[in-house]
Amino acid sequence: MTTATGRPGQKTETGSSNWTTRLRNWIVGLVPPGEALPDRQPIYVASWIYVFGVLTLAALAIVIGSGCVLAIGGSAWWHTSSLGRYVNSVHLWSVELLFGFMVIHLWGKFWMAAWRGGRSMTWMTGVVLFVISIGTSFTGFLSQSNFDSQWIGSQGKDGLNSVGVGAWFNVLNPGQMLMWHIVLLPLVVVVVTVVHVVLVRRHGVVPPIDAEM
Amino acid sequence: MSGLSIAAEGAGRYISWGVIQISVANLTIIAVMVLLFLLALVIPFPTGHGSDDGGHDR
Repeated sequence: MTTATGRPGQKTETGSSNWTTRLRNWIVGLVPPGEALPDRQPIYVASWIYVFGVLTLAALAIVIGSGCVLAIGGSAWWHTSSLGRYVNSVHLWSVELLFGFMVIHLWGKFWMAAWRGGRSMTWMTGVVLFVISIGTSFTGFLSQSNFDSQWIGSQGKDGLNSVGVGAWFNVLNPGQMLMWHIVLLPLVVVVVTVVHVVLVRRHGVVPPIDAEM
Repeated sequence: MSGLSIAAEGAGRYISWGVIQISVANLTIIAVMVLLFLLALVIPFPTGHGSDDGGHDR
């Protein structure tokens, strides 16, 4: 076991017996030094196609922010308040932009074959995010507390029951769908997004195909 | 039948091509996304740092 000095007078263990040290070393080792928030990128990153990933992140931030404001007023707030209707519209349209940016990001990465160079997990976490985002928006449409959500629920129940998940994921239960929408699925989306971004920073942006040949 | 036609009008205009049926709104959104994708590939990205600071290769 070795020791290292951090702040003056402070001893910091770098051995493996201390779980705090191991956790810190693991976090520090996730991304190469200087790559967590780099201010320089390879020259091939100077293309608009590389912007859509961060645009998706920006839209996600607005989705979560507007969702938090909606949570204050409750799921029926937007029916009775002009401010609530505005925030609901911000929530809806930021989701629309999120999916638009995410799909263009997906197209770009697909045609770049962005899973090359040990980036398969980056690609797969992106695929998982896409699928979970669809489920999250689905539960959002089910939480509108209007005839639209009733229609979507009644249309979706047979398909979900046919695959055997209706007992745990009941689209005719608006309370359950609201909880999935504002707690469980956003938690998964945020965690997988963090993993996805860490993997991007860990392995770097995928180079163009001809740059590798 | 008139009730059905009113409901169809409320749902927007649709384009049918064989087994494919899509609303004009959705088709427009897809077309705009494809256009954005193509523009992102061809429009030069402003670097803003001058030609001597073009980043580094990993």
